[in-house]
Amino acid sequence: MRAGFLAICKGLDRVVSVLCGAACVVLAASVLAIVILRFGFDTGNIKLQNLAEYAFAVLMILSLPYCLSRGGHVRVEVLSDTLPQGYGRIADWIALVIFLIPVFGLMVYAWWPDLIYSWSILEGAVETGGLAGLFLVKTMLPLSALAMILSGLAVLLDPKAPRR
Amino acid sequence: MTAHEWYLAGMMLALFAGILSGVPVMLAIAGVPLLAALVGSLFGAFDLGFLNFFPARVFGVMSNPLLIAVPLFVLMGVLLEKSRLAENMLDVLGRMLGGSSRGMALSVLAFSAIIAASTGIVGATVVMLVLISLPSMLEAGVPKRLAAGTICASGTLGQIIPPSILLVLLGDQIGNTYLEAQQRAGNFAPDPVSIGDLFAGALLPGLVLVGLYGIYLFLRLRPSRRLPGAHRPPAAIRTGEVLASFLPPLLLILSVLGSILMGVATTTEAAGLGAVGALMLAGYRSGAAGALRGLVLLAVMAAFALMLLRLVSDAQNESTAMHLLATFLAALMVLGVAAAAYRLWQANLIQSAIGDTIRISGMVFGIVVAASMLALVFRGFGGEELVAEIMEAIPGGEWGALAAVMAVVFLLGFILEAVEIIYIVVPLLGPPLLGGDISPVWFGVMLAMNLQTSFLTPPFGFALFYFRSTAPRDITTIDIYLGVAPFVVLQLIGLALLIAFPALATWLPGLVFGN
Repeated sequence: MRAGFLAICKGLDRVVSVLCGAACVVLAASVLAIVILRFGFDTGNIKLQNLAEYAFAVLMILSLPYCLSRGGHVRVEVLSDTLPQGYGRIADWIALVIFLIPVFGLMVYAWWPDLIYSWSILEGAVETGGLAGLFLVKTMLPLSALAMILSGLAVLLDPKAPRR
Repeated sequence: MTAHEWYLAGMMLALFAGILSGVPVMLAIAGVPLLAALVGSLFGAFDLGFLNFFPARVFGVMSNPLLIAVPLFVLMGVLLEKSRLAENMLDVLGRMLGGSSRGMALSVLAFSAIIAASTGIVGATVVMLVLISLPSMLEAGVPKRLAAGTICASGTLGQIIPPSILLVLLGDQIGNTYLEAQQRAGNFAPDPVSIGDLFAGALLPGLVLVGLYGIYLFLRLRPSRRLPGAHRPPAAIRTGEVLASFLPPLLLILSVLGSILMGVATTTEAAGLGAVGALMLAGYRSGAAGALRGLVLLAVMAAFALMLLRLVSDAQNESTAMHLLATFLAALMVLGVAAAAYRLWQANLIQSAIGDTIRISGMVFGIVVAASMLALVFRGFGGEELVAEIMEAIPGGEWGALAAVMAVVFLLGFILEAVEIIYIVVPLLGPPLLGGDISPVWFGVMLAMNLQTSFLTPPFGFALFYFRSTAPRDITTIDIYLGVAPFVVLQLIGLALLIAFPALATWLPGLVFGN
């Protein structure tokens, strides 16, 4: 049961990593293209601009669970270092139940109506002539929240996961 | 106190307890306010409708064009770090100076200023400096306390010397808060504050700090002082070698900074150029075959030519020859970038650089997202009015309030990192100050320098923890504290200069952007 759950979390983490890495590459490449167009040819392209913005949005929101499952979020350990061994695990469990799940649960719950609407009109960029597919970018927000909750659980359930 | 004030005070106390509990800071910053809001709503003190705005706020962060520069600057720093450029620079410097202790300490300072400017992350810079420059400094006869102080202080320079990620975030927050505060105060057409303004404003104060450190090191160390056993390295060193190790990173930083300050590129574009430049630099340096190196070199030259073209094309644009030239240069550049990327992919460097970039971005944006929850609940409890009242009650008017904010920032610097402080302090405490006549650029640069000082101050300064975690055990914690003390004094002198001469921060932005 635990192994199955961890496998699901691992799969989701893989999806997050791939999307994030792709977003990072697309971001750098599209900004390079924007610079070349503007410097060399004195023109711009609204779709390209949107692409860079979308790539950033995806990278930004999915970097949160990526960082969490690698134990990368900043901790202040001035006090907790002096406490006994088991303390850290208990504190993390409490933080999961009273902080992480409510915050990211709220993120999914309160976003849902907006998302449904966005899908119903297949929302694109605000600008005229902008890039389509903003609804997909908006979908990353609850996906990230879900990944946060699952990887928060997985880090605590998996005996091999890094704490820091 | 009213019920709302009790809730706010309780929330702030719980927030500090949460942060100090050792759980990820972002969870505490987002979770405690949410709990406070839920408790408050049970007793009718909080309208839960406020919470519905949270995801929209987060989406606002996702679609904030100013923040696009952050992951690109991170990528640039990570790539430069992976190209082992710093090691190379220090090695050349060490040999050039013939191992004198004064020369060694000064060169560590000079090259940390360059490295700090390019990475801008305190922890990473301090750790790297300890690993590569501490042994050389000790070997050259620099006393260990002074060496410790030099490394900790130089490592924090990245916060203030542009291009720095911290200044991008500060520019975002101060820009917003200043605009809102001025409009509320009745000024409907304030000059907007850009990230470029802050970059320009922080440049001189940053260089003043480097100068102060330099004078101190120059006076403390004698040129000939050397440990008896230290061997004299061969003096022969070619100018070409010096140029090869120093010119590329300097050119990269100068072109990133220069293109922003000259108004040629936006911050995002400059950050993208910086990342691509770092990619080419790392590709060139990763010991590739001759043909590939040549291609990358050509691409770099094409990039500069393209920039030049941009500068002259304003005068005579849209000729066919110009277009052909631009197409050729662009093709060359893309080819060179692709070659460098392929080379780094083979060496498995680009994968790990992207991984590090995402992780560091997650660290930064985790705080940004969490802070939007804190700000939401803080407003929901009426915290803004309370802060305004408290600020007005502080004696000394604007200056008293400014001093109070600076004191709070300094103390917060002991337990929180820069990103947290910027996103908590500026929106929560900033409005009353920024609604007045204080220059927002000067305020921002002061804040940055103050934070940097705080990271350096014993016993809680962040830089000292990073130093401790990497340095050998025979440098005691007391050594670190004593070594860093003179630099804290230098920082305070720098801050005093900035307060006495606000023009240090405001002159250059005025000159460059003309407002």
